[in-house]
Formats: sequence, C-alpha cells, structure tokens
Amino acid sequence: MNMELSRRQFLRTAGAGIAGTSLGALGFGGVEEAVASAIRPFKLVNTTEVRNTCTYCSVACGILIFSKGDLKKGEKATITHIEGDVDHPTNRGTLCPKGAALLDIVHSKQRLNYPMMRKAGSDTFERVSWDAALDKIARVLKDDRDKNLVTKNNDGVTVNRWTTTGFLAASATTNETAWCTYKVVRSAGMVVFDNQARV
Amino acid sequence: MSNFSSLQPDPSLIGGIAQPPYARLPDPAAIFATRARRLTALAEGSDLKPYLLFLAGLARAQDAVLADLPPVEAPDEETLARAAEFAMPPLDRGRFTLDDAFDATLERLATAAQAIAKPEPAAAALERVRSAGPAARDAMVRNVLADSLPMESLAEHLYVTAALQVHFVRLAAGLEAKRLVRIAEGACPCCGGPPMSSLVVDWPSAPGARYCACALCGTLWNHVRVRCVACGSTKGIGLQEIEGTSGTVKAETCDECGSYVKVLYEAKDANVDPFADDVASLGLDLLMRSGPYRRAAFNPFLLGF
Repeated sequence: MNMELSRRQFLRTAGAGIAGTSLGALGFGGVEEAVASAIRPFKLVNTTEVRNTCTYCSVACGILIFSKGDLKKGEKATITHIEGDVDHPTNRGTLCPKGAALLDIVHSKQRLNYPMMRKAGSDTFERVSWDAALDKIARVLKDDRDKNLVTKNNDGVTVNRWTTTGFLAASATTNETAWCTYKVVRSAGMVVFDNQARV
Repeated sequence: MSNFSSLQPDPSLIGGIAQPPYARLPDPAAIFATRARRLTALAEGSDLKPYLLFLAGLARAQDAVLADLPPVEAPDEETLARAAEFAMPPLDRGRFTLDDAFDATLERLATAAQAIAKPEPAAAALERVRSAGPAARDAMVRNVLADSLPMESLAEHLYVTAALQVHFVRLAAGLEAKRLVRIAEGACPCCGGPPMSSLVVDWPSAPGARYCACALCGTLWNHVRVRCVACGSTKGIGLQEIEGTSGTVKAETCDECGSYVKVLYEAKDANVDPFADDVASLGLDLLMRSGPYRRAAFNPFLLGF
C-alpha cells in the first residue's frame, strides 16, 4: 500500500472557482494579505541535500552532503556542509575526526585534482593526462613483472610470484569492484596486496 | 519538543550510538500547553499575530478541557494485535463513532473557545457548531477524519478538528509506542493520517533524526531524512528556505512528485513545535506557491496553500 499524500484532496469545493483558505474562512483574510505583501520582496534559496558514503575507510559511514547552487540551472554548485547520516545503520550520525573534517578536504587547496607525474631525475611534479598516466603505470608494471616474476620455486614447482610490486586498493568500493580488484591483482601474481580499509 | 523527558534508561546511549525509536506518542498534559506557549511566542513581531494568538487561545482551550473529561475508549486487544500484524493503524478513523467522551470534548471546547478574541466569521462559525445537532456534528466529524474539508463550512470544521485533536491525542497516548508498525509512506502509525510537518529532533536519544508529526493525533514517527515524505523518493531532494532567515524552517522539495513538506530543525531552535511553526512560517508557503512544488503536508489550520 502506498498512499500518495500529494494526491489526496484535503479541501473540497462545491463549485469551480471557489477557492479559499483556513485563514479566510475564519475571518483572518486581512492578515493573510498582510503576510503576502510583507513576504513578497524575499527570495528563496535552494540547498541540495544528498546521501553519500565517507571516502576514507571500509567502515563506510553514511554522510549527508549539502550544497548551494543549482547545477540544473547551469550554476556552479559548492558543498557547504557535511554531516553524519543519522539514518545510516553503520554510524547513526556519528563521524570520526577524519570524517568530521571532510568539508576541509573537499575545499583543500592541496587536494589532488588530476594525475601528476614526477619524471625520473626531475624534482617537480607536472600535470599529465589520464591516458598518459595510465599508459605510464601499465608500462612500468609490465616492465617490472617481465623482469622479476618468479615462475618456479627452488623445488621446480610453478608458483608465478610477483613480489617486487605491491597493490593498495581503495575501500569505498562495491563488492563487485573489490571482487574484480582481487581477481586482477592475484591473477597477475602479485602477493603484496592490501586494502585502504586497514589504514 | 523539549518537554519530552529522557528519564527512560537507554543503555545504547553509553556507546553514543542510539537507535532512534520508531514512534513517539503524544503527551496530552503537555502537547497543547507547549503549542499555546510557542504560538504566543511566535506571534510577537509576526505579521500573522492575530491568527497566531487566536490559535494560541484555541490550544489553551484544548489544554484546559483535558482536565476532567470522561475516559476514552481504548481499542481492544484484538484490534491492536490485528493492526500490528497487518500494518494497519490501531486507531481506525473509519469506524470511529461519537461517544460520551467526544461529545463532552466538543461541548466543552466550544464553550471554552467563546472567550477567545476572534473575527466575526470565526465567532459565527462557533455559534453554528454549538447549535449543531448530533447528525450535523457526526457529518463534520466524518469529513475531518477523512481529511476532506468542504470549503463552504470550513470554519465550523476547524472547531471540530480541534476537538478531534484533543480526543485522538488522548487515544494515541493510551497506545504502546513499541507495538506501532510502519503503515505506509507518509501515514501516521497510530491513526493513518497525513503529517502536518516534519521535525529534525535534537533529543539526546536521537540527535538529528527526522520525525513526521501527525496532524490529528500528534504522534511523531521516524522518517528517513533526504527522503520525500509524500512519495518516498530519495532522488532530487532539495531544501528551500527564505533568504536571510535562521534556517529553522525549510521546505524539503521532491522533483519526483513535485511536492514539498516543511522540515523544522530543533538544533536551530529548541522550542520549535510542528504545528505552531508550520502555521507561523506561512510566508514560506506563500513564496513556494510561485515555484513548481505544491504543499503535500496537511495542516487543517493552513488549508488552501
């Protein structure tokens, strides 16, 4: 059963065109007009409120994010407030100090917004494209694996161990992402594998 | 609603993570008195002052008649068990029949309301309620309980609403909060009625949880935040407030069903009352009228917006 509140008819009128309010019916029509004219110069401001998951650890606390500025109207939205989600079964509105400081991370000037690379021999980071960054990572991984993969142990048993590269996975992921991550990393032979969840 | 005491032992508070109770039943001894105080306080400096003072007088009258009314007839055990099993409201509005307790409530309230300062139409309507026969009163009660008020005799129905509020608050107070179950989207678990507004509470046992307030029986029931009260959607939820105000009252809008319900923040003002602040923030409704959203909440004393 889903009683949709907004479709209920609270006020019945016998004839079309008869409209009124509780205030009018009780004889406070003048008061209603006064309020209407007093409120006219004021404007409404919109805040968007969404539910999300904290980015930090695998406890995956629920958070509420509030933002000002309407994206649908082509405005730029800014996050104004972040708080713990009371309705979330994991944290019931509470947040750890890291989670409570999320808003500062969002607006931090030091925050990494795009891939940066420090080339061998250089002392500065420079911005690179995602394609370049991923190509570079794949190249380095492949070279390292080709060079260092241990295919057999001392007894001649096939082991395919890749011990020279480690992998640290993120925590704010779905089960499916975690499953794929595990398959990719372990299939490549990597044994040094950990998760942000334990950090 | 700071009048709720927190004397109930709650071990989950020790860990600082309390489970918000699903429903909170009204306290007849406090609900109308608190409402009257809040309305009086809000009236100061408000453009709505005459109306708020009238409603404060009505709430004081509701509080005053409570004193020595005949006992209400609580639903029997069979009804309660059936309601809990099949997710139905234990207070069945459709099967409500006029009894001595309600007759006395309406009679005394109508008498007490005579002393309130009011405009001519309100006084005339009160006289018509006082002189109405049992059949006419029964018809008005049916309309109010069906949340469907005829425009032609709206004022009379509002006095009947006030009496029914007293009656249903007493009925709801006799129920057990733990046995109440979720009935439907935006429906009171006690009487099945629509909410008048919602309240983000600041109770020690549930800081920040949101509760809807029933327009008839005053029960508060938990409703997940950022979730439309009217249709249950969690997409496209926004909050509208009047620029430059304290942010105590906001309208939660839903793009899915195009409606809005007010949210009151107890953390911003500890004295907010779901009825009083809803009426007092009429300006927000008037501004919302020019937008795409329509009012989904039901407050009999704020119909037509």
